[in-house]
Amino acid sequence: MPVDPVTLEILKNHTRAAAESMAFTLYRTAHSTFVKETEDFTTGLTTPAGETFATPTELGATWFVGLNYGRVIEMIDDYRPGDIALTNDPYSGFVCTHTPDMHIWKPIFHEDEIVAFSVGHVHNTDVGGAVPASLSRTLSEIHQEGIRIPPAKILVEGELNRQVLDLFLTNVRAPDQNWGDLKAQIAACNTGERKVREMIERFGVDVFREGVADLLDYAEAQARAIVRNLPDGTYPFADYMDEDSVDGWPCRLALTLVIDGDELVFDFTGSDPQLESSLNMPTGGDERHTLLMVGMTYVLYSLDPSLYLNSGVGRVCRCILPSGTIVNPVFPAAVGMRTLSCSRLQGLILGAFAPAAPERLAGSPGSGGPIMNVNTTDNRTGRRIMAAINPMTGGAGGRAGEDGQDGSGANQGFLKNTPVEINEAEAGIKVLRYGLSPDSAGPGLHRGGMATEMRFQAFSPNTRVTARNRDRTRFTGWGIAGGRAGASSRFIKNPGTNREVDLGNTDILTIGPGDVIHVTCGGAGGWGDPLERDPDAVLLDWRRGWVTTGHARDAYGVVIAQGAVDGPATRALRAARANGTDNRFYDVGDECRAFEAVWTDANYAALTECLARLPVHWRFYAKHRIFAALEPLSPDDRRGDGSDVRQAFAALCAEFPELSDAGGAAAA
Amino acid sequence: MNTNESNASHRIGVDVGGTFTDFCVFDEVTGEMRSLKTLSTPATPGAEVMNGIAELERRHGARPGSIDYFTHGTTVGVNTVIQRRGAALALFTTRGFEDVLEVARLKVPDPYDLFSRRPAPLAPRERVYGIGERTLKDGGIETPVKPQDVHAAVARARADGADTIVVALLHAYANPANERAVRDAIRAAAPAMAVTLSSDVWPVIREYERTVTATVAGYVQRRVAEYIGALQGALGDAGVPAEPMITKSNGGIMAAELGKTDPIAMLLSGTASGVIGAADIAGRIGAADVLSFDVGGTSADVAVIQGGKPAFGTGETVGEFPIHVPTVSVTSIGAGGGSIARVDDFGVLKVGPESAGSNPGPACYGQGGTVATITDAFAVLNLLGAGELGYGAVALDRPAAERAVATLAEPLGLSLPETAESIIRVAVSGMYLEVSKLLSRHGADPRTFTLLAFGGAGPMTACLLARELGIRRTVVPPTPGVLSAYGGLIADIRNDFIRTAFVDLDAKGLGVLDAHARELETRALEWLRDEQGFGGEARLVWSADMRYRGQSYEIETVIDRSDIAAGRSGALAEAFHATHERVYDHADREAPVQVVNLRLVVSGSAPKPVFREQPVVPEAAAPRGGATIFLDGAEREAALHDRGDLRPGRHFAGPAIIAQDDCTTVVPPGFAARTDGWGNLVLEPEA
Repeated sequence: MPVDPVTLEILKNHTRAAAESMAFTLYRTAHSTFVKETEDFTTGLTTPAGETFATPTELGATWFVGLNYGRVIEMIDDYRPGDIALTNDPYSGFVCTHTPDMHIWKPIFHEDEIVAFSVGHVHNTDVGGAVPASLSRTLSEIHQEGIRIPPAKILVEGELNRQVLDLFLTNVRAPDQNWGDLKAQIAACNTGERKVREMIERFGVDVFREGVADLLDYAEAQARAIVRNLPDGTYPFADYMDEDSVDGWPCRLALTLVIDGDELVFDFTGSDPQLESSLNMPTGGDERHTLLMVGMTYVLYSLDPSLYLNSGVGRVCRCILPSGTIVNPVFPAAVGMRTLSCSRLQGLILGAFAPAAPERLAGSPGSGGPIMNVNTTDNRTGRRIMAAINPMTGGAGGRAGEDGQDGSGANQGFLKNTPVEINEAEAGIKVLRYGLSPDSAGPGLHRGGMATEMRFQAFSPNTRVTARNRDRTRFTGWGIAGGRAGASSRFIKNPGTNREVDLGNTDILTIGPGDVIHVTCGGAGGWGDPLERDPDAVLLDWRRGWVTTGHARDAYGVVIAQGAVDGPATRALRAARANGTDNRFYDVGDECRAFEAVWTDANYAALTECLARLPVHWRFYAKHRIFAALEPLSPDDRRGDGSDVRQAFAALCAEFPELSDAGGAAAA
Repeated sequence: MNTNESNASHRIGVDVGGTFTDFCVFDEVTGEMRSLKTLSTPATPGAEVMNGIAELERRHGARPGSIDYFTHGTTVGVNTVIQRRGAALALFTTRGFEDVLEVARLKVPDPYDLFSRRPAPLAPRERVYGIGERTLKDGGIETPVKPQDVHAAVARARADGADTIVVALLHAYANPANERAVRDAIRAAAPAMAVTLSSDVWPVIREYERTVTATVAGYVQRRVAEYIGALQGALGDAGVPAEPMITKSNGGIMAAELGKTDPIAMLLSGTASGVIGAADIAGRIGAADVLSFDVGGTSADVAVIQGGKPAFGTGETVGEFPIHVPTVSVTSIGAGGGSIARVDDFGVLKVGPESAGSNPGPACYGQGGTVATITDAFAVLNLLGAGELGYGAVALDRPAAERAVATLAEPLGLSLPETAESIIRVAVSGMYLEVSKLLSRHGADPRTFTLLAFGGAGPMTACLLARELGIRRTVVPPTPGVLSAYGGLIADIRNDFIRTAFVDLDAKGLGVLDAHARELETRALEWLRDEQGFGGEARLVWSADMRYRGQSYEIETVIDRSDIAAGRSGALAEAFHATHERVYDHADREAPVQVVNLRLVVSGSAPKPVFREQPVVPEAAAPRGGATIFLDGAEREAALHDRGDLRPGRHFAGPAIIAQDDCTTVVPPGFAARTDGWGNLVLEPEA
C-alpha cells in the first residue's frame, strides 16, 4: 500500500534532513584538512538491502548518489544494535572503489529488525602503501596501494574493536588523522540513526518502511519519464585517454548506448583490457555500479533538475562489463587513480547521449587538467612546504542556445580553486598568471567553455611539482552537431625561453629556483557550425582576450581589423570555407582523426575479439605488442579492416607457443 | 535636539521591505511602543517613509518635529544588484589576473547540473583592464604603478562606457599603496570618475572574495548615495530634527551620511536588524539559544542566536553575489506566504521555491493571483483574516483562495481543507529540512532552543514548525510584524575593522599583531569619535581568524588584546584551541597555530528606549469570539483573541487565533499560550 503523496513529500524532507545532518556532522567533526578542503566524503541512509534512499546534496562528493551497499552488507552475517562495520577494500564487495575511501555502515534497528543502515565514506589522506597518499599512476597491483581492511566490525554492540583499529592505524602514515576522521564518520552514522528513530516515532514504522520504498520508486518513475522522452536507438561512441601507462599507448573507452522505451543499456564491450597502471575502475561486474551511473545521473538530472537523486534512478539502466577490462578489472589490478578514468568515462557517457538529444545536450566537458601540488622549501624558514595549489579545470561544452560555462562546470562543477594570494602566502611560489586560456574553447555556433590556465615560478631547489590526472595532451574534447573540438591541454616548463620543455602527460617532476611552470586544462567542445557564430559574439570574445585575431579568422572565419569586424572580408572568408564542412556528428579533433585512421572500428573490434581469448594477465602486454606492430605501417600498407590486427596477433601467438590456441583461432 | 515647545519625543525605526515598509515608534514620554506598516513604493524609493511619517502623525500624533531619533533600513542597495540597475563598472586588476570574476572559486551553484552557471559578473570582462604592477605577499612593492599605464586604461574604460572604476589588485590587503596610486592616477585623468578600492571596502586576503565585494560596493554606491541624500532632504523638509542613522549588515547602525561612501556595510541590514531585534527580546526573557524565524512574502529567514549572540558570517549573498564583510548570518528558505503549491507529474505535492511575490501575490489578496500559495492555504483553513491585513492595505478574498486551492484538491484526491492543510504541512517540512541543516552545521540540538517568530507569516507557522523540530517554546514578540524596524531602533553604533596578518604565534608574529592592533585601534576610535561624532563609551571587541598550520580555513576566535601586547602566545593559542573544540568537537593542543586576520569591532551604545517588565497577573483570557477552523485533520472551534487584550499573565489554550495590527498568530490544539511581563506571547505544548 503506497504512502499518500503528501506524506511522501514530508517523509522525503525528513530523510533528506537526516542525510544532510549526517553530512554536516561529519564535515564539522572530521580532523583532516582534506575532508574540509575537498569534501571528498559521503553520508546517507539505505534500505536493509543497501539501496540508498537519502543523500546530502549540500556537502560531499557528487559521485556516489545512489551507491548500493548491498554487497558489503551481506558480507557480515550477524548484526546487533550498536554494531558498525567498515571496509576500504575495493575487491571486497566492490562498494569501496579505491583504498583511501573508508566506507562504514551501521544497522538501525526497530525492535528486533533492521529497518535501515546509516552509511558513508571518507577519502583518507593516506592508507599506507608504496607512496605517500597511497595513490600513483605507476602502481600496478592493489597490494601497493595501502592496507586493505575487508568488511569487519569496528564497533561491536557499541564497543570499539581495538584489534581492527590498531591494525589499520599501524599501517598508515598519519594515524591521528585517520582515527579523527573515522570518529567523525561514526558520529555521522549515529546522527543518522537518531534521525531514523525520530522518523519512525513521527510516521510509524510501517509508513517509514513503505515510504522509503516509495521514494526509490518515485525517483525511478521520474528517471523513466526522462528516458522515455529520448528517442529509442543504438548510440555507439568511443573516446581515448592519451596513455594507458606512463608513456604508454592510448587507452580506449567504448560504449554502445541502447535506449529502449524507458530502459537503458550501457555496453562497454570494446573498452581496453585492464591496465598495468592504477587507472582501472573496480566495478566487480555490478551492472549498476555507482561509478558507471555517475555520467547517466548527470545527464538525467540536467535534462530535468527536479529528479530526486537516490538508488531508484539507477534502476533504469543495466551495464555490460566484460571481465578483465578497464571497466571490470580482476584482482589484483591497481585501481587507485580511477578518478581520471572515471571522469573520462562520464564524458564518454555524456557523448553517447548527445546524439539522442542534440538540442538539449552539450559538447565535451573540458578535461585533462591535473590537480596540482607543490612540495618546496621556504627560503626564509627552511621549512619544507607541501601545498595543493589548484585543480586545473576546463569549462562545460557548448549547447543549443548558449556557450559553455567558462573555467569550470559540467562534471567538474564541484571543484574549488585555491586563491592566488593564498598560494603565494603558503606554497612558496609566485603566480604569474591565473585565468582563462585564450583560444582553448572548442569553436562552435555556441562555443565550449574556456579552460583555465596557470603559470607559476619556483624559488627553491628541489621543488617537486605533481600534476595528478594529466590527460588530453593528445586527444582533445569533442564538439558536436557541427561544433569543433576544444584545444589540447598543456604542461610546459619555462615557456618562451630556450629552456622550454613540453612535459606532455608527465605527472611528477622536480624543478629549481627560477623555473616557471605553465599548465592548462583541455578545452570544452563546441556546438553547431562555428562559421554560423554571430561575428559580434566572436568580437566580444576577442575584446575579452579570449580569442586571438588569428583564431577568430581560422576557427570562425571572422576577420577582425582595427578592433571591429570587417564585414565584407568575413562574408568572403566564410563563403569560401562553407563547402568544406562534413556532416559527422562528433568532431574529435585532428589527432584523434589521425589515430582512428589507423585504429579503425574494425581494427578495434578485431583487437577486442583477439584479446578476449587471452588470459587476463597477457592482455595488456599483447595490446602493447600489437600497437607496436601497427605503428610502423605506412598508410599504403594499412587495410583498417581488422586484418592488420589479426596479422599482428597471429605473429605474437607464433612467438609465444603458450598462446598458440588463441592465435590459431584469430587467424581463422 | 528636540526644539519643540511640547515635551513630546519619539524614536522611530523604519525598515523598507519588498512589499511593506515597517515602522516602530517608541514614545519616550509614555513608554509605549507602536507599529505601522505602509505599502512600499519601489518606483519612488523614500516616498513610503514620508507617507509613513504622515500616517504616524495621523494615527498616533507623532509630529515630525518630535522625532529626535531615526533609524532606517533600506533594500535600495540589494534591489540595485537584483535588478541590475547599478553603475557601468570597469575593473582594474593586476595584469595576468583579469579573469578573476569569471573564474571565481570555480564551483557552480548546482554541481549535479551539467548546465549550471555562475552569474555574469557586475563588471563585464570587456571592461576589465590589467595594470602592470605587483605587490608581494609581505606587502613589498615589486612593481610600482606607472601613471601613464593607468591613464591609458582610464581612456579605454571611458571609451567603453564605464562610469565607475573598481580597483582590486593582488595583495592590496597587505599594502594598499598600489591601489591608492592607481586611484590617484585615475583622479588625475578623470576627476569625475567614481573610484572604489578593494583595500577600502574590506582589506582581507583572497582576491576573488575581495574583488567581488568591491564590485558590489562600486555597483551600488551612486544609487545608495542618491537615495540617502533624498531621504535626508525629505526628512529635513518634513521638519524631522533627528540626524538619520542607517542600519548595517553587521547588526549595528551608523550615520546615514557614511552610507554614501560605505554602502557595502548596509546592504543586508533588513534581515540583520530583525535578528538584532530577536536577540534583544531573547535577552530580555533570558533565552540563551534562540532560533529567529522571520517569514515574509517570499522567504523564511532563519538565524541562530547562541549564548545570546547572533551568529556572524561572511559570504552572505546579495542577489547572486557573495559579499565578504561581517554580516549577521541569516539562512533564507524559499518558503514564504507567497510560495506556490503545485502537484507534479507523479502526483506529489510540492511547495515553493517559486513565489507569487507581492504582484500578483496570493490569490486571496485579490490582485489577480490565481495559483495557490501558502497564504491562500491559511485563508482556506480560516486561520487568516480575523484581523486587518497590513493595516488595511489589503483585503482578504477567501473565495479566490478557495478557487486556487481547489485546483490541487482534485489531483490529490483530498477535500479542500485537507488540501490546504497538506500545503502547510509540506511547506513546514521543507522549513524543517533547512532548519535541521542549519542547526547541524552549528552542532546544536533544537530541543534546547526557543523559536522566536516574527514577520507577517512567522507567528502563523511557528508552532507547526516547533512541533516538527521538537522545540519546546515559541515566543511571539509584541510587535512581530515590525521587528526589523524595532531592531534598528535598539541597535548600537558599530563598525568592523580587519587586517590580514598571516603570522605564526611566535614572538615575531606577536610583534606584527601588536603593530596591526595599534593601527586598527586608532582607526576604529577615529571612526567612532570623528566620523560618528559619538562621545560615549567605546567598546572594543578583538578577535582573530586563526587556524592550525596546514588548514585552509579559519575560525574567528575572540581574544584578549592584552595577550598580544604582553606577548602571551600561549593564552592566544589556548583561546583558539578552546574555540576549535567548541566548533569542531576536538582540538590539537600540540599543533602550531597561525593568525590569518586580526579583527576589531568597535561599538557605542546609542540611546535606547527603556522597557519595564510589567507585573504578571495570571488569569484566563476572554476571547473576542470564535471561528471554525480546520487544523490537524479536523474542523475545530477556535477562540479568537485580540492581541491588545492579552495583558501580562493572561493565558488560554489552543486552538486559538490571535489577531493584531501587523500579523496573525495561530495556536494549534495542544498548545498553551500566555503573555509574559514584557508583553511577549509564550506558546508551549501543554504538559
